[in-house]
Amino acid sequence: MTTSQLDKMRLELRRGVLVLAVLASLKQRHYGYSLRKQLQDRGIDIDEGTLYPLVRRLADQGLLDSEWQQAEGRERRYYLLSDQGKELLAQLTDEWLQLNSALGPLLTQDQSGETE
Amino acid sequence: MELVERYVAAVQRELPEQKRQEIGRELSANIMDQLDALKEQNGQLSEDDIAAVLKQMGRPEVVAYQFVPPKALVAAEDMPLLKHLLYMVLGVLFVVQIVGSTTHWMGSSEGNLIRFLLQLTFGFLEDACFAFTVIVLSFAAVNSAGDRVSRSGGKDWSPKLLPKADLGWQHISMTDVFTDLATCLFLLIVIWYPLWMSPAQIADRSIMFTDNALLMMQWFSPVVALSVLFSLWQLRQRIWNRSLLLGNILVNATFSAFFVALALSGPLLQAGPVEIKSLFTLLQLEEGFTYGLLITACIPAYEAIRDLFRFNKLN
Repeated sequence: MTTSQLDKMRLELRRGVLVLAVLASLKQRHYGYSLRKQLQDRGIDIDEGTLYPLVRRLADQGLLDSEWQQAEGRERRYYLLSDQGKELLAQLTDEWLQLNSALGPLLTQDQSGETE
Repeated sequence: MELVERYVAAVQRELPEQKRQEIGRELSANIMDQLDALKEQNGQLSEDDIAAVLKQMGRPEVVAYQFVPPKALVAAEDMPLLKHLLYMVLGVLFVVQIVGSTTHWMGSSEGNLIRFLLQLTFGFLEDACFAFTVIVLSFAAVNSAGDRVSRSGGKDWSPKLLPKADLGWQHISMTDVFTDLATCLFLLIVIWYPLWMSPAQIADRSIMFTDNALLMMQWFSPVVALSVLFSLWQLRQRIWNRSLLLGNILVNATFSAFFVALALSGPLLQAGPVEIKSLFTLLQLEEGFTYGLLITACIPAYEAIRDLFRFNKLN
């Protein structure tokens, strides 16, 4: 597999998961940079060009509440999960856990590829 | 910080008017936070450091597209339909242009081949550009309204309705439908030329249909219009069933009978207001047209017989 193929597939794999990660992180209030930092600290490296537009899109869909506030001498837009966002996050979390529990054995099964 | 302002302004320029202010404000706040964090790590920042951060963020137009992704003019689902429609319309326009240019060339006293080819090329390009623009803009208008041109009934679909695997012909090919539509469209254009041609253009013809031939064709045009509707119905169904096949047999048999009747009802052509200055005489053209009609009649006749066999197979 070429590097570009790997990059493309990794991007596809991460795309859906990032929404879940962002929604889960925004159970607590964050502004753009602090959200990115938090995700980075948890091992999810996401570039600004993906994260900031994604957050805005989720806010436009009503999944996040947002407000501008002055902090440390500068204005920042803070985001927090809305009620609709909380509901969706719960559903997506269930979906993710189910998927993960089904996928785990598949990925860790014997490399010989034999099936029972 | 002037670099940041310049960068944000460059991003804003690529954004739609109503989103510029808000996205610019937020982007600026995010960049300042990032620069602050860097400052905490590395101390005072130089202009080069700031430029490096901005460069890493990406080109302003790319960042703008990430915030407001450009919308495709035509939806991906509509592309096959658009492609076939363009082939059909451009094909018809080309044939109409050939007919128009050829008859004009025959009537012209010069008979200049280069002029004929130039007239054909530029006349077609003019019509094609207009048709292309109208069709693509129509699709874009439907797409921007959040709809799809080729939307088909979804939930009433059932795998049981699919034809047997060995009856591949039962799938109606889009190319066939659009070929039929193009033929009908061309016939209607030719039959009703007195409506769309100016008196000056008609006066410039060297060959015309006789009144009898034109009257016969005009009386036949409801069948052609019916055939257009039938093709549109096929486009929706996309699978031959007994009723569709029966309809196709009737349409093709009628077309075939009409072409034969027209060919035998001669004379079909008469000299126009302009004298013919071509390699062929009116009589030769008349003969050619008559034989052309008889040969053309074989195509729908063949399709009618073929569909009759298929009709029996679906029993």
